[in-house]
Amino acid sequence: MEKKNSGEFKELEELVWHHIDSFDYMVDRGLEIMLDNIKPCRQAKVSYTGKFEADVCFQYDGRPVIREKYNLGQFPIMLKSKLCYLRSADPQQLVSLKEEASEVGGYFILNGIERVFRCLIMPKQNYPMSMTRGSYRERREGYTDKAVVIRCVREYQSSLTDHSSVTVRLYYLRNGSARVGFWVRGREYLLPVGIVLKALVETTDREIYENLTCYYDEKYEKVKGAVGSQLLGERAKIILDEVRVASLFTQDDCLQHIGEHFQPVVDELENKTPYTVAHAVLKDYVFVHLPNFHDKFSLLINFSRFVDQTSALDNPDSLQNQDILLPGHLITIYLKEKLEEWLRKAKSLIQDELAKNNTFNFLAVGDVRKVMDKNSSVSISTAVESMLRSGRLATQTGLDLQQRAGYTVQAERLNYLRFLSFFRAVHRGASFAGGRTTSVRKLLPESWGFLCPVHTPDGEPCGLLNHMTCSCRVTSYFDSQGAVKDFFDIRKSILGVLTSLGMIASLPKLVHAGPPKSLSVLLDGRVIGSLPSSKIEKVVAHLRRLKVSATSAIPDDMEVGYVPLSIGGAYPGLYISTYPSRFIRPVRNISIPSEEGQDIELIGPFEQVFMEIKCPDGGNGGRSDAFPATHEEIHPTNMISVVANLTPWSDHNQSPRNMYQCQMAKQTMAFSLQSLCFRADQKIYHLQTPQTPIVRTGAYTKYSIDEHPTGTNAIVAVLAYTGYDMEDAMILNKSSVDRGMFHGQIYQTETIDLSDEGSKSDRSHRRFRRSNTDRSSHSLIDSDGLPYVGQIIQPNEPYCSIYNDITNSSKANKNHLQKVNIRFRHPRNPIIGDKFSSRHGQKGVCSQLWPDIDMPFSGVTGMRPDLIINPHAFPSRMTIAMLLESLAAKGGSLNGNFVDATPFASTVRAANAGEANSESESLVDELGKMLKCNGFNHHGVEVLYSGVYGTELTCEIFIGPVYYQRLRHMVSDKFQVRSTGPVDQITRQPIKGRKRGGGIRFGEMERDSMLAHGAAYLLHDRLHTCSDYHIADVCSICGSILTTHFQPQRRIVRDIGGLPPVKAPKKVVCHACQTSKGIETVAMPYVFRYLAAELAAMNIKMTLHLNDGA
Amino acid sequence: MKDDYLKFELRETDASVANALRRVMIAEVPTIAIDLVEIEVNSSVLNDEFIAHRLGLIPLTSERAMEMRFSRDCDACDGDGQCEYCSVEFHLRAKCVTDQTLDVTSKDLYSSDHAVIPVDFSDPSDPNEPSDNTETQRGVIIVKLRRGQELRLRAIARKGIGKDHAKWSPAATVTFMYEPEIHINEDLMETLTLEEKLSWIESSPTRVFDIDKVTQQVVVVDPEAYTYDDEVIKKAEAMGKRGLIDIRAKEDSFIFTVESTGAVKASQLFLNAIEILKQKLDAVRLSDDTVEADDQFGELGVHMRGG
Repeated sequence: MEKKNSGEFKELEELVWHHIDSFDYMVDRGLEIMLDNIKPCRQAKVSYTGKFEADVCFQYDGRPVIREKYNLGQFPIMLKSKLCYLRSADPQQLVSLKEEASEVGGYFILNGIERVFRCLIMPKQNYPMSMTRGSYRERREGYTDKAVVIRCVREYQSSLTDHSSVTVRLYYLRNGSARVGFWVRGREYLLPVGIVLKALVETTDREIYENLTCYYDEKYEKVKGAVGSQLLGERAKIILDEVRVASLFTQDDCLQHIGEHFQPVVDELENKTPYTVAHAVLKDYVFVHLPNFHDKFSLLINFSRFVDQTSALDNPDSLQNQDILLPGHLITIYLKEKLEEWLRKAKSLIQDELAKNNTFNFLAVGDVRKVMDKNSSVSISTAVESMLRSGRLATQTGLDLQQRAGYTVQAERLNYLRFLSFFRAVHRGASFAGGRTTSVRKLLPESWGFLCPVHTPDGEPCGLLNHMTCSCRVTSYFDSQGAVKDFFDIRKSILGVLTSLGMIASLPKLVHAGPPKSLSVLLDGRVIGSLPSSKIEKVVAHLRRLKVSATSAIPDDMEVGYVPLSIGGAYPGLYISTYPSRFIRPVRNISIPSEEGQDIELIGPFEQVFMEIKCPDGGNGGRSDAFPATHEEIHPTNMISVVANLTPWSDHNQSPRNMYQCQMAKQTMAFSLQSLCFRADQKIYHLQTPQTPIVRTGAYTKYSIDEHPTGTNAIVAVLAYTGYDMEDAMILNKSSVDRGMFHGQIYQTETIDLSDEGSKSDRSHRRFRRSNTDRSSHSLIDSDGLPYVGQIIQPNEPYCSIYNDITNSSKANKNHLQKVNIRFRHPRNPIIGDKFSSRHGQKGVCSQLWPDIDMPFSGVTGMRPDLIINPHAFPSRMTIAMLLESLAAKGGSLNGNFVDATPFASTVRAANAGEANSESESLVDELGKMLKCNGFNHHGVEVLYSGVYGTELTCEIFIGPVYYQRLRHMVSDKFQVRSTGPVDQITRQPIKGRKRGGGIRFGEMERDSMLAHGAAYLLHDRLHTCSDYHIADVCSICGSILTTHFQPQRRIVRDIGGLPPVKAPKKVVCHACQTSKGIETVAMPYVFRYLAAELAAMNIKMTLHLNDGA
Repeated sequence: MKDDYLKFELRETDASVANALRRVMIAEVPTIAIDLVEIEVNSSVLNDEFIAHRLGLIPLTSERAMEMRFSRDCDACDGDGQCEYCSVEFHLRAKCVTDQTLDVTSKDLYSSDHAVIPVDFSDPSDPNEPSDNTETQRGVIIVKLRRGQELRLRAIARKGIGKDHAKWSPAATVTFMYEPEIHINEDLMETLTLEEKLSWIESSPTRVFDIDKVTQQVVVVDPEAYTYDDEVIKKAEAMGKRGLIDIRAKEDSFIFTVESTGAVKASQLFLNAIEILKQKLDAVRLSDDTVEADDQFGELGVHMRGG
């Protein structure tokens, strides 16, 4: 066996890196987590966890701190994270650990089920966004629909963050003032902006006025890039007047005001002075990413620049203003909240204990422990585990997140592409899924290069569930060497660079000029200064150069979001971001001289919008000379996802077909796992003899898809042969199927846990054993009560036997096996009705297994096709790439080599070849030539002979190998048939549901079509005879069907020796009329009787008038 | 003509007979193939069905097949397929004890009948193939075993036809084509320059024509290589020389190509096919072309009517 070095899967690993990374950081962040033992979790159906311990410090009345260790339970661990024992394993070791050689990790194992975090789109953190939303108007009287919103992520002095965020909104009022709004404990609080400004720093009205109006200068009113209008001064006055009216003049006044306001809301501070309360509120809820109050002040000033709305609004649906929520970050926030909750509870417990128990000694460890034990510490890990297991957050505060559920999904290993896609998926948020607006689903140009335009499901989640492109990465806490980044240092060095380039650093009391003269510079949401607009282009270029160069302290994933001056465009400024969980992707920086070595720059979606990036196709993309391209895409395929990249020549297909292929690739029955025998997944689909495609893209080898191939090269003839290939049906060659084409299995695991089922009392008495008395099942069940290994089990045969021995003592039973996994293998060879598809969104259902001898054959080679599809599949769908694939695969198989089908390859090649050789050959000619060399027609057609008559078919037939996938939808799982069967208890109509042997609904539209055909008898048969046919006794006197009942008959007829007793004639009596005279039998649907009964319950009487005939 | 390859010409008949022969060769000449597998131990990576399927596809030498009985109408064993008249038993025992991966191949199958053995594909006449017992001679690989893995099974091979399952098909490929009749319009051809002639020759993907080095005339080298692709005719039209070439298929002459799986020699396969075709025709004749006879001959009758 060939040796595999770990580098081989590097590309793959990179794809899931953002998951692992974020978890690593969470773990690193000072939490002491210790790893005990790791079990083969998937099989044991338990969770992959490690022991989680924490030092809890007690401090009371200034006495020395007591540290004690508390076990916080078993904490779930992400696979291949730093705590995982697979982290450093190379492929060989992974195999010996019974894992996949290409295991990438990034998911959790909880109760034997692999769960992966669903990444969410979040509003860009620490970036003020001006928005308009109708609901703002409803906040309170006098509000407009405009506001500036910033999602602040908490940060401490040392630039460390715990990812908890607080959203602050600045609402505009119709009278020109503004309100600061933020959420505390599920309620939004609104404060006049003037009060907050004054409370933040010791300042004067004049300073505030100057700061607020600095963004406007009459001189530049009509100049490009000017923002603000004369109204600005008016507004500043109104804001300041508001404060004066409230007679709050000094900082202390304002703090006092805020403190009184919030005192009842913020707990643990109830008995503190208003001053401290106000301080805490400003610290914990207003601009929490800035620990410094001066910074908060200048940011709030910066906020009000939007007042006039002279610059364009930001689009919250555009990727430009978005970040990603990663698993580690969510767990951190959640864990933090749970820990706080626990500590608060512990505190109150101790306080209670102190209050009522005088002997309680706080210094005695034992006593404290006793109290603390009441407050289960294990619950913290359990809470995190259940969050990951169910994807639901159990929280009161909401954690500033938009949704409570759907944070994790099960990582199905249906096939590898599906599994991989779980890690690349990004969801827009569950709250948008229900909404009727479609604007969030729109594919916006801002997401170019970051989110795949092709790889999104159609239907309900369309546009909401996106996938990252193959080159898209997410910034993390770790630099390329794997060391944790020190953001404090990074920011300091950025600051240093900027100041040296002529930035006027922001200082308290210093008033800056506004655009267009100079632009303010924000670093991670902090106003750090302003740059004259004349210098800014140079500064940006310099920053980019530093970013790329390896030696500088500037990180390579820094985002230099330079919003240039414009008329009515976005608010100009320089926004620099260094924080993690941003999207980034590599492009080539062509403005840097290539001698400097590296020219690959990582760019983010925010800066991308204002950058000039050209496609490497030789053209200029309609760019005007005023704005020459500074960057270049590395390869056009970088704009699509991994799965979309596997479609050969997808640039020759109609785009919806590529979307369909992305979906179908993910539901292909394929070679899902190499460690198949060590797995106990509920269901594994497995293709017995997969092949590697002859025609493949560059991505196929790059991501080593050969480890988990998904289909078979089938010889496909395109002709209408038997009529069985109409309407997307396809004919399979029976002999090919006999020889193993598309054979497959489903592995299904059934878990029987004796400790789970049954009542508590008899739980301990039960174990797996077969009955000694009943020998009927001995051929099926072994003496251990389980089936023989390798046994063939037919439907409805028993496969396990549970023995209940009450005689045994209960203790001995502990040692008995209590849980078993029984794995079934269902052979699933292709049959009529199974679904197949090519890689071009051309799916079809097998309509016949046609005998080999009846298939058309080639007179030259004698080949019969494996598969026949109808030519009508092509004209309207325009999947030219499928035809190309057929041609190329034919040539490739004749020459014995793989054919590269990377999309857009020809444009790139043309660009490289230059203008000299612009008249390059078309792809078809190239492929045709390859065929011609091997003695085939260069259009890929061949003369075929009818298999039935042996005569030449009138047309030449297009035939060649196409890579076909078998989809997981199989008739065996779908067929539904019933003649009689279970009925519903109340209505006596057949029940629904395939599993329970129910019927298929013959609904309203079906009924309509029957009526249209006048098929009355058929209709009657379907809706009555085969449904709830009922013969009711109706009393014609009172017209009731409910009052009739059987009269119990005395047996008049005596037994006549030896003969069976004659059945007494039924006598039905109407209860209301006390007679049996008017009783008639009427056939009716049983629901009718039910209706009568229901109406009777509501005191409505239903009477029937019976008469004969018309 | 080789053991597994045969090319011949069938004359003075029509497409129906030719095609009937082809169909019989593919689907109705009986061979012997493993049909029942009883697995005792299987700790290999492949599952039981997979191995059984692979065993079934191994070609077995089936010279005896014509005389053998179908197990379904075998009197000796009531059709349960266990007697010597209708079945051959195989045993396979393999266990890997070394660290090296063990290939279990068709050579490891032990037959109870020396006439029915897995086909030996090694060609002693081929000088490229080493004569010593190296891997090239090991036959068809069934499964690979790692250390400690074991495979033990009993298999029963039966007679069958390719119509039931492809494993009983003795022919890999049987094909025929009409023999082409190629007439070059020499007068028109002479109007072409040498380059034109060459490019015209090149237009055919297969080497049907060539140029005579001496006379510089276009000659037909290999009419059988012609694939009826009409490329040369199109080319001629494109050159403005309609009628430069006239190609007609001879309606009554067929070039047959037979490739055998090795179960039966290609030549024997053809003879067997004729034999079976004869039997079928006899059956039709007996039926006296009454519709009732369909019941008598059951499946065969249905088949004869064009199934």
